[in-house]
This record gives sequence, structure tokens and C-alpha cells, in this order.
Amino acid sequence: MEKNIYEPVKCEVIDNIKESPTINTVVLKPEREFSFLAGQFASLTVPGIGEAPFTPSSSPFDKEKLEFTVMKTGRVTEKIHQLKKGDIVGVRGPYGKPYPLEKFKGKEVLLVGGGVGLAPIRALFLALVETYKDYKKIVFCCGARTPQDYIYKELIFDKWQKLCEKIPLCFRITVDKKDENWKYMEGVVTKTLENLDMDIKNGVAVVCGPPIMMKFTTLKLLEIGFAPENIYLSMERKMYCAVGHCRHCMIGDLFVCKDGPVFTYDVLKDKPEIWA
Amino acid sequence: MKKITNKMEKLYIKVDDWKNFLKGKIKENRIFAPVENNNFLFYENLNEENLEKIVYDKARAVEPVKIFLYPIKEFVVPEIKNIEKLVVMGVTSCDLRAIDVLDSVFKNSDYKDPNFSKRRENILIISFDCKNPYNSCFCTLVGVKPYPEKNFDLNLSKIENGFIVEIGSEKGKEFIGKDTRFYQVNESQIKQLEEDRKKVEEKINEINREFDIKNFENLKGMYHTEYWQKPNDIKNCVSCGSCNFNCPTCVCFLLEDTSTDGNFKKVKVWDACLFPGYARMASGVSPRPTLFDRYANRLLCKYWYMKENFGIIGCTGCGRCISGCIGKIDKRRVLTEVLKEKVKV
Repeated sequence: MEKNIYEPVKCEVIDNIKESPTINTVVLKPEREFSFLAGQFASLTVPGIGEAPFTPSSSPFDKEKLEFTVMKTGRVTEKIHQLKKGDIVGVRGPYGKPYPLEKFKGKEVLLVGGGVGLAPIRALFLALVETYKDYKKIVFCCGARTPQDYIYKELIFDKWQKLCEKIPLCFRITVDKKDENWKYMEGVVTKTLENLDMDIKNGVAVVCGPPIMMKFTTLKLLEIGFAPENIYLSMERKMYCAVGHCRHCMIGDLFVCKDGPVFTYDVLKDKPEIWA
Repeated sequence: MKKITNKMEKLYIKVDDWKNFLKGKIKENRIFAPVENNNFLFYENLNEENLEKIVYDKARAVEPVKIFLYPIKEFVVPEIKNIEKLVVMGVTSCDLRAIDVLDSVFKNSDYKDPNFSKRRENILIISFDCKNPYNSCFCTLVGVKPYPEKNFDLNLSKIENGFIVEIGSEKGKEFIGKDTRFYQVNESQIKQLEEDRKKVEEKINEINREFDIKNFENLKGMYHTEYWQKPNDIKNCVSCGSCNFNCPTCVCFLLEDTSTDGNFKKVKVWDACLFPGYARMASGVSPRPTLFDRYANRLLCKYWYMKENFGIIGCTGCGRCISGCIGKIDKRRVLTEVLKEKVKV
């Protein structure tokens, strides 16, 4: 018999890490292998509560565990924050189109992540690091409201920065509002895009963050010379089925679940309400 | 008249013979057929009594055929193990077209719905010709004939004293079996059928004389709220979702997990894109914040998005969205006006 498309893979919660006051990373051990490519998403079920789509934030090369970094915004995400070790949840997927890494080959890659938007970027970043020789350079721009709001603090402020000594990688880090211990930039994330040392004409940019951040980042990227078809945006919509049936996630005639969730700006630019 | 052999494509049966044939069939089949109630047709489960009240010579039923293939609420995890066999009579051509849309979404796409294909296999459809269309009917404007052309197992067309029975599938042929009450049709009966059909088509065209929606492909790109603020009709929308729930091609649903014991238990329930909360995200933001955006989305989905997605438009001209609208919105008038705006731009 054909596999039921809605039947999730059971996963045991092995950790639930507090990243910031509103964001947790839940670490799962799937009952059977769950493979995905960077940019693809999965539907996470909390039994009896509901289901919501998230892009895994762990490395696509990690076959042992699966991580989701989730901001507390609604009914399901609140419950995800309360999950304890040993709890059972479900994951189905992966769904959607991944970042087309083959198109990034030989290019300079700019990553721009804001707030919880750093989550899908993390999975991509880990995949890029694994295959770093394929790319000329990686520039990683990070933003958050305040230093406390940063997720992956240990990675961004320490471990990942150490990689810069070994591979062609640099970080540009900012907060909207700094505190007395902050040693990086202050200002919204678009500030990190000023005076970029990049071959923009041959560059690709990947953006993920809240809608307002995506909007202004895209406008800035266009202004500094990125081609619309080289700007990759990770879109978010209300979603139930994740397989192109329920039609909740549509942006015009496009399904976020099937045609996305990653779209280049040239595909989206004439669609309605893209920055909702 | 000659006795039939089952190779014939079109047969004839007398009214009383058909009724007796059905009486035999209801003993071993669960059969639904349209019965009149307050001037409207509703599907009823047939028994000896209501079998006499089946309406063969009117138009579509109130409920779209999708209720038999895609119920309002059903479990998808675990999937339903025993899907019962059904015979549904009185399905009209508009609803048969809708089956193409449902198939494209739930059966022929990359992902197969857990229950739909089984329901589809287990249903036998005995369609009827539309004989007396409602004022809300407009199938001919969207390329649908008022008589069945495909997706039926048997089609019944009432003519004087009997029915012309068209065999649409092997399943339909088996349903008739070797029953000797069916005869081969003769020339004059075929002629009458053709004339009747032509008259109904003309009547539908006449009903829709004042509407001009044939260029609905021009809706492509008409996202802008301003277009949709023009027609007065839309202002009467109260977002009740009646047009969605009555529509034979609306497929939207939500999915909830209703488990109480830690195992997954997922239920699929119809949803309506006219509801303000339909596309609202957890953050509280909706990509379609105004009524006009939501109304536009519904029509654009029907006449443009579905065509892009599945190669078929999501409107069959059944008119249920018009007759069921408590705001008395006539979609044909809205489309006529909106398309005029497009021409001006």
C-alpha cells in the first residue's frame, strides 16, 4: 500500500535549548532516518495540539538528529517550547525545493539572517561549510533586535568565527540596539550590507527573517547591484498540508510548500502581498 | 424494439422498468439520488418510498458531488480503512467537470490523498442531463455542456416515457449487467435527445445574455485591490464562506491533530478562503487583510491559479456560489464589471 502522506515519523525529544527569551531549539531523534536538503522544510506535529511547518536548523549532513529553532508565537509553538526530554513528536517531509547549491558553485555567497530567520540559514551555512571549496567566499550577515535576542550565541560569537581562519568566510554582525558589552555593529541588518567586499555581479544572496526585514534587505540588495534572480528569499505562509492540496500557503498562483519555500525575487516581485 | 446486447453505447428503458430495476438495486447497493424539498434538490439515501420521488428532469442538486468524494470532515491519519461503495445518481455535467479538478488535486498530483482515490474507485456515478437550468446556471460560459460528456458510469436522459441510458464505463456496463429491460435506442429517440440538449444550451445562453465573462483569462495579474473595490456586489459579502462550501471545486481544508493518547490522529476539515482567519499566520498578520483581497483571491484562484496549477479552471458554472450567497452577490456581474475595468487600464 502507498505510504500515507500525512503520517509523521515519530521523533523523541532529546533536548530543548533556550536560545533567547522567545526562541528555543528543540533537538529530535527520529525513529528512522530523516534526510533533507538545506532550505527544505518539514511539518512538526505535537500530538493533540497541532502541526506547523519549520525549516530544520541542523546540518543536512547530520543523520542522527534533527533540530528546529522555533519562536514562540502561537498555540503549537508554545507547546514546542514546553517539550521535555523523552516526549514524542512527529515530523513529516521534507517538503519544498532546497537552496540550489549547484547554482552557487564558483560564486560568492552572501547570507543575511535576522532573528529567528537565522534558523534556516544555519542549515544552509552548515551545508556550505561542508562543501566550502565549491564557493569563492561566504559572507554571513546577522541581525537581531538586541544582543539577548541573538540565537546560536555560542556559534555566532565564537565557534563559527574561528572558521574564518580556515575557510574564505567573514561575518558582519549587528543589533538594532546595543548594550554596554556589545562589540559589533549597531543598526538594522541592512547596515551590514554597506561597503560589502564582494563581487556582487557574480554573487548570490540568501535572505531569511521577518517580513519587514526581508523587504528592506531585498531593496538594499537590489540597490547595491544584486540581480533579482540571484536573491533567494525564504517565504512563510499559513500552511496545513505542505503538499499542494490545502491551498493555504499560496502567494498568487505559487505554492510556498511546493514551488518554494525558497523563491528568487524575480519570481516573486509581481505577486501580491509578498511582504505580509 | 430489439433486445439489447451490452455492447451498445446508448440504451433505452421505460420509466416503470427503470424504477423496478432500481428497486432491485437498492437491496444490494447504497444509492443516493436527488429528491425535491422546498423547490431544491437534495441527495437522499434511496429506499422503496423516496425512490418514487427522484427528480430526473431538473438541474443540479444543492450539495455538490464532492461531499461523496471529499467529505466535510474526515480522518487522514490513520486513513479510513473501510470506504463503503456508493452509487450516486443525478450528478449533473457541471459536477462531473468538478471531479476533474478534485482528481488533479488529490489523485493525480505528486502526493496522493490517503482516502480520495479509494472513494473515487468505490463510487458509481449515474449522471442526469440538466433539463431545466436555474437562473444562476452558467456552465456554457465556462466551456461546460449541460449534458454529461465524461466522468460518468451511466448517464440518464429523460425523454418521453423513458430514459436514454448512456454507458460511460465498464463499471456502468456491469451495473446494468444482462438486464433485459434495456433496449437499443432508435433514431427518433436520439433525435429527441439532441433537440432537448440544444434547447437547454440555448436556455442557459439566454439566462446569461447580460453577462460577459468569456475573457476570464484576462483576470491574470488582476491582484490589485482597487479593481475589486469597484463592483458594488462585493461590498455585500459577509465572509460567511457559503460560496466556498457550496462550490464543487473548492478544495481548501485545514488539518488538525486530535490525538488524546500520544498517537497521531489527523483530521481534515473544509476551510473557506473568504474567512478572515484563513491565511492569517501565528504572528497575527494576514497576507489578505481586506474583504476585497479575499474575494479577489477566490476568483483569481478559480479562473487563473487553478489553471496554472492543474491546467483546468476551478469553475464549472454550476451557480451555487450565486444561489447560495446571502449577500445576493452575482459572481457573473462581478466578473463582467471587473473585466471591463481591466480593458480600461
